Amino acid sequence: MSWRIGVDIGGTFTDFALLDHDGRKLAIHKQLTTPADPSAAVVEGVGAILAANGVAIEEVDAIAHGTTLVTNAVIERRGAVTGMLVTEGFGDIMDMGMEQRYDLFDLRIRYPDPIVPRPLRRGIAERIHFDGRIETPVDVSAARAAIRDLVACERIEALAICFLHSYIDPAHERAVTEMAEAEFPELYISASADVYPNMREYERWTTTAINAYARPMADQYLARLEGGLGGLGFRGRLYIMTSSGGMLAPETARRFPVRLLESGPAAGMLMASVQGRALDLADVLSFDLGGTTAKGALVRNFSPLKTEQMEVARVHEFRRGSGLPLRIPVLDMIEIGSGGGSIAAVDDRGLLKVGPRSAGADPGPACYGRGGQRGALSDANLVLGYLDPDFFLGGEMSLDRNAAADAIESTVAEPLGLSVERAAWGIHDTASEDIARAFRIHAAERGFDYRAASMVAFGGSGPLHAMPVAEKLKIPRVVFPIGAGVYSALGLLASPLAFELARSRRTVADDLDAESFAAMFEPLVVEASGFLEAAGVAASEIRIRRQIDIRYFGQTHEIQVTLPEGDPKAAFANLRDLFETRYAEVYTFATLEAPLEIINWKVSASGPEPQFKTGYALEAGTDTRDADALKGMRQVYFAPDGYREIPVYDRYALQPGTAIEGPALIEERESTCLLTPGSRALVDAQHNIVAELEERP
Amino acid sequence: MTADPGRYDAVSLGILWDRLVSIADEIVSTLVRTSFSTIVSESYDLTVVILDRDGRLMAQGSYSVPVFIGTAPRTLRYMLDKFPPETLRPGDVICTNDPWMGTGHLFDINVMRPVFRNGEIVGYTMSITHLPDIGGMGFGAAASEIFHEGLRLPICKLVREGEADPFILDLVRTNVRTPDATVGDLMANVTCNEVGSRQLLEFMDEYNIDDLSPLSEAIRGQSERAMREKIRGIQNGTYENRILIEAIDDPIPLACRIDVKDEEVLIDFDGTGDCVRRGINVPFCYTNAMSLYSIKCITIPTLPNNEGATRPVRVTAPEGCLLNAQPPFPTGGRHAIGHFVPGLIFGALADAAPDKVQADNGMMDLLTIQATHPDGRPVSTICFVSGGFGALQGQDGRDCLPGPSNMAAVPVEVWETITGMTVVSKTLTPDSGGPGTFRGGVGQEVVLRNDTGRAMTVLSMGNRTDFAPPGYLGGHPGGLRRHRINGETIHPKGAHSLSPGDEIALVQAGGGGIGDPAERTPDAIARDIALGFVTPEGAARDYGFGSSDDD
Repeated sequence: MSWRIGVDIGGTFTDFALLDHDGRKLAIHKQLTTPADPSAAVVEGVGAILAANGVAIEEVDAIAHGTTLVTNAVIERRGAVTGMLVTEGFGDIMDMGMEQRYDLFDLRIRYPDPIVPRPLRRGIAERIHFDGRIETPVDVSAARAAIRDLVACERIEALAICFLHSYIDPAHERAVTEMAEAEFPELYISASADVYPNMREYERWTTTAINAYARPMADQYLARLEGGLGGLGFRGRLYIMTSSGGMLAPETARRFPVRLLESGPAAGMLMASVQGRALDLADVLSFDLGGTTAKGALVRNFSPLKTEQMEVARVHEFRRGSGLPLRIPVLDMIEIGSGGGSIAAVDDRGLLKVGPRSAGADPGPACYGRGGQRGALSDANLVLGYLDPDFFLGGEMSLDRNAAADAIESTVAEPLGLSVERAAWGIHDTASEDIARAFRIHAAERGFDYRAASMVAFGGSGPLHAMPVAEKLKIPRVVFPIGAGVYSALGLLASPLAFELARSRRTVADDLDAESFAAMFEPLVVEASGFLEAAGVAASEIRIRRQIDIRYFGQTHEIQVTLPEGDPKAAFANLRDLFETRYAEVYTFATLEAPLEIINWKVSASGPEPQFKTGYALEAGTDTRDADALKGMRQVYFAPDGYREIPVYDRYALQPGTAIEGPALIEERESTCLLTPGSRALVDAQHNIVAELEERP
Repeated sequence: MTADPGRYDAVSLGILWDRLVSIADEIVSTLVRTSFSTIVSESYDLTVVILDRDGRLMAQGSYSVPVFIGTAPRTLRYMLDKFPPETLRPGDVICTNDPWMGTGHLFDINVMRPVFRNGEIVGYTMSITHLPDIGGMGFGAAASEIFHEGLRLPICKLVREGEADPFILDLVRTNVRTPDATVGDLMANVTCNEVGSRQLLEFMDEYNIDDLSPLSEAIRGQSERAMREKIRGIQNGTYENRILIEAIDDPIPLACRIDVKDEEVLIDFDGTGDCVRRGINVPFCYTNAMSLYSIKCITIPTLPNNEGATRPVRVTAPEGCLLNAQPPFPTGGRHAIGHFVPGLIFGALADAAPDKVQADNGMMDLLTIQATHPDGRPVSTICFVSGGFGALQGQDGRDCLPGPSNMAAVPVEVWETITGMTVVSKTLTPDSGGPGTFRGGVGQEVVLRNDTGRAMTVLSMGNRTDFAPPGYLGGHPGGLRRHRINGETIHPKGAHSLSPGDEIALVQAGGGGIGDPAERTPDAIARDIALGFVTPEGAARDYGFGSSDDD
């Protein structure tokens, strides 16, 4: 018998999922995160979940890990002292950024400080042109002197090497890297063409700076983790989750820690796609609603959508443009400033607004009774009857309904001339609208038709808002998965080893033939496969996917086209068809006479999909199996008719095959599923609840 | 404040309103991703609006640049005068680039599509973008009459029931330097309005709205009330300001008088100098837009744009003055003058709203490049470079941030690839930020070299070369803008030729400071020195920092 463990470190809890080799037996565990040394909770929790289930550490052959370590390091600026060598005359670009305001009217907008402060950036004479021509050979001795000075005077621990157009020819960055690795072995070094060889210097260099900045910390953390797990007797393989939902061996993660950004949320989104596969749902909206933000992602034809753009450490209300822009392979997630703690307020227009300001965990919403004075989304959900004041976190904490009502009364209802119920409903509905709107624009920008898709909902408040959001989007089906409380930990177990690479190389398609087209991918295939082979995947088991970013010649934005599997030479003949089909999906019309231009060449190599059969069932809560699933009736508010009495069920007592008509509430420890009026839900064999929305004309 | 007591309460109005703005944003996103020029896709020189059946502006894309505030309803009226609603058919698209009917210069194309539902017009969408080229001399200040500036398309039906008019496309194609890019962008405008119609219809179906007018009225009413309430926060009074700016030859005065009375603001530009025979004259629509923008920034910046928000502000300017130019005066580089309007207004209101106004900006440089790429393609595009942002009470101005307009810089690697030019360097200019308790943002110097192998033309439209961005409330001005070719200072507004190997340096002005520099904290000065935004000599000179008489 062999087992695998998924471990996801979140802000408050570290979650564990233990799965047997067949993917049939599953156990979960949660414990408090240990911020000072997050590996401590991981090691302790691994011991605990094994002991609780009578599994010996020798029987565990893999531990898959997701962490917010790098994200937090960037947000809290706890990374290493990092220096930067940059093409002479261009270092100041890191201060200038995009030279654009993300809000036109707010003159007080703010931007994050660069990761590497100006005095730690040194210009190096070198120049390669956009067409690959070398104008000025790199001055390695000047680079040596600059590094020596940065080490001696600034005490740098990490170094980012960032030259213009290195995505065309990395020779200069490589020359300096080789010298630096040989002569300054204690430095952690990242070169921009290695981190992500794409056009646009500000984003590439920011990505590289963050990578360098995070390397020492990632290295030390992984060493502690490996040591701790080794101490338990663990002899299997440790894998680390990336932002794009793939797994890396620790050696690769140490080189590219920037790829670990948002790996926890990525695991949850990935799990939603796995769930889709298990339930034969090709198109899925993954929806995670937590305490301060909501996150969404789309799954098309069983694959989560990915992108290369993300922003971290936003400094202004989660606004796009207020963070540091990066280029790495990531699951294409949206983050919305709506969560259970989002504060409701009267905005400048004199209308209701929910979030993005959040009461956080402390003081939290007014109903927590910790001094929160302003009505928050969770307060509204409590007043409306969606939450049970005596069964929050399974009853570990009780909620104060009067405090919630008072807060909504004084901060929303009274100023807007509404009743408390109408105000509370307004808060609930506005939050759902905000989320639906964000999904709508996200889907439209990607040419994704959600009207036949299904939503998979998780996170503390996700199951409560899923059906209202789905109704607004006219999504016909919502899945409330079992294990939603540790969903990212489950996702970690579902992910294959994978590595993605991309390279900018502008090429007019007419200038290529099938042979040269196929050859463009070759170095990327070799490099990406290499990382997998080093992690123990047999060459025959590596699956290669090729993609291109392509546009009409002269346009400035590309669309991504995935080549059919197999020989890329064959795909070349159909290139125009592939492009125009995709183009029409995204923009409704296609066909200009213009030639096609390929901008980026992308390869993703992945290992075998882990065994993750549909047959697992959560062992938790077996003791309530025989109890009556119906806990009672509760007064719950629905617009436009007001309060009505609806049944409340205990999720852990629901047997497969049970059908429930909405309206109803189904409570579990970490969240409450809301079935809206007119919907109909069925508990499947794995204890997932699948709700169908009423069809409306 | 309570919501409109009529059909929509504070919850439903908020929801519907936000949704309309997001539809406008979605149209913008389609526009950006289908366009052919970096002017649209990288620099966002565009706007998108949604108007109701009666032509009243309900929603505008959140990323619109200020110059497009309030222009669309007037443009639509001109369009409907020529093509009355009852003559329009589903699938028709109307366009014009007339400066006096549109947005003030020939480069902006205004593209409108009526939205039909059950055979009737329920509203209109309109997009406006700055085209990469429209023929004539190109985007610059060198023309002496509008006729030099390029092709002027009178209001015309670009698409007739879904079929683009081949003659108009041919006409445009024949008259511009970059036929593929210009026509490509024109068609991107058509596409995005098509998407807009679809979105608006879905919205109406979803919320069972047959007539947008009551919603439009509620949005505008709520906006107007909110705006009026905020204007009450500015002290009543009459405020005046007069500045000199560099024009072509002699300096020209810009003057304004602002009357704040309870909940209304009247702005008049009497005292402003006359038009000049170069392409920097400002049609009134532009002056109006910049004035509305300025008042919104200091009253209620979060309010989405619509006609209600602008109603309490009235703007006038004597006909024929530089800020109310009439045909045939050329207007191509109108921004070079028009960008002074917010600073002029903020300067007047500095004492009335000291915690709101911004010291003047270093503004941005726009340089048109007409060249041939080494690969043989024609290139006509704009190089945007930002000066320093003006300081505010309590906040330094950001370095190299555009204002009042908002065109992003094109990345060096993208710029070199599309033009074949080489960017030699791009560096901050220390000490260019206006000293003050809160420092203005520093500017930058960008050096470009013609590496295309052929001669090329650059059309410059620089300002701030003689009159630095003023600081307010005791703050000092920022540094000046300079253009140099091979080290020689050139006229900042004109056409210049660059031979292969020639270098042009664009030195950007810094932002003005706010408050007495003597009040700036030593920590902040020390940090500026450490980061190199201020030199030790500059700190001694401007702040008395580190000098012997420093106590």
